[in-house]
Amino acid sequence: MANLRDIKQRITSVSNTRQITRTMEMVATAKIKKAQERIESARPYALAMVEVLGNVARFVQGASHPLLEEHDERKRVVVVTVTSDRGMCGAFNSNILRLTEEIISRESGAGVQTDVIAVGKKALSYLRYRGIEPIGAYRDISDKPTFADARSIAGQIIPGYSEGSIDAAYVVFNRFKNVAEQKAEVYQLLPIESRVMEAAEDDLRITPEYVFEPTAEAVLERLLPTYVETLIFRGLMESAASEQGARRTAMKSATDNAGEMITTLTRSYNRARQAAITNEIAEIVGGAAALEES
Amino acid sequence: MARTLLCEIVTPERIVYTNEVEMVIAPTVEGEVGILPLHVPLVTVLKAGELRVRYNDGKDVEWFAVSGGYMQVHEDKVIILAENAAVASQIDVERARQARDLYAQRMAELKEQSAAQAECDACEIDLRWFEAQVKVAETRS
Repeated sequence: MANLRDIKQRITSVSNTRQITRTMEMVATAKIKKAQERIESARPYALAMVEVLGNVARFVQGASHPLLEEHDERKRVVVVTVTSDRGMCGAFNSNILRLTEEIISRESGAGVQTDVIAVGKKALSYLRYRGIEPIGAYRDISDKPTFADARSIAGQIIPGYSEGSIDAAYVVFNRFKNVAEQKAEVYQLLPIESRVMEAAEDDLRITPEYVFEPTAEAVLERLLPTYVETLIFRGLMESAASEQGARRTAMKSATDNAGEMITTLTRSYNRARQAAITNEIAEIVGGAAALEES
Repeated sequence: MARTLLCEIVTPERIVYTNEVEMVIAPTVEGEVGILPLHVPLVTVLKAGELRVRYNDGKDVEWFAVSGGYMQVHEDKVIILAENAAVASQIDVERARQARDLYAQRMAELKEQSAAQAECDACEIDLRWFEAQVKVAETRS
């Protein structure tokens, strides 16, 4: 029979854990909302960006720019892996890391060198453990990414691509579908897909004659890197919101499980208590009977 | 009431300002330009500096510090896409000054070590942004 005190201790410890997971769940719920608002407030910039890009694209038709051109040979690709700094969020990080791993093995299978830029402590420790040294590491930004972070990441890719030492770049991140759902996705950063430019062109119904200063080419040259930065920034923000969503789900099920565990433990506690009492009564009755007999 | 323009200043993180204004004066890479209503459609590259808007029959002026970015003018709508933008009255001058000095120092160090071009460029962007903030805050508040 299980010891009464042992069961009691377990109940206490499980309910302490439940208190923690419940708090984390509530904190995550509050943070989702903030992170979602941040995505929302970034939208006007992204939309205006695409609009300007479309205007420029239409003007400099068949534009050639290093960032638009696909390289003939694929020798080296860079993957930006966006994870969280903290755990306790279910399969959030492992999905991303699995996807990264898939890309790496596919590319190296084709004889392409693959380098990783790790965002978040989880990616960093995982990659190091696997013996992959990331070419860039960003810590403590997953909670509240800034545009400067995105710019810094882009700064590690764009010059390499223009020079030809990098032939493609991807970002792997969790897309925030809704509060309960995240999806690990890969997005191509470089070369900038021509359909982006074409889609941007199609969006324009009215076609005014724009004046460009200094020239359309010069504007395009500045605009394309910023576009890449915006893509990365978006990935970082989606990931931040997804992280909180994943954590909320994970913590909710942990809280539920703890509750269930407490119920079963309480049940066996009561059973043990009753058994002990019955036992005691039997002993007393037995003792009294023995006295009477003598 | 004079004809107005809709002016929007947006950064990747938020919308800094939207208002109906009469004139926008922005620092482009080729010098300052003033935008009035009925301006031809224009797309231009901005550099770090002071941006100002006039409204309320020219009686009120609002000053901003912007880092580099883009400006699009189309049908009485001016969109300013800046990486960073701040209203003059809300700039913390002391902090901006410190940051400027820090970046200036770092810039000098980078030059001495003849560091990678990308690193210098990144530092310069930040330096110009804080310089712009200090300048705007000192003269306009």
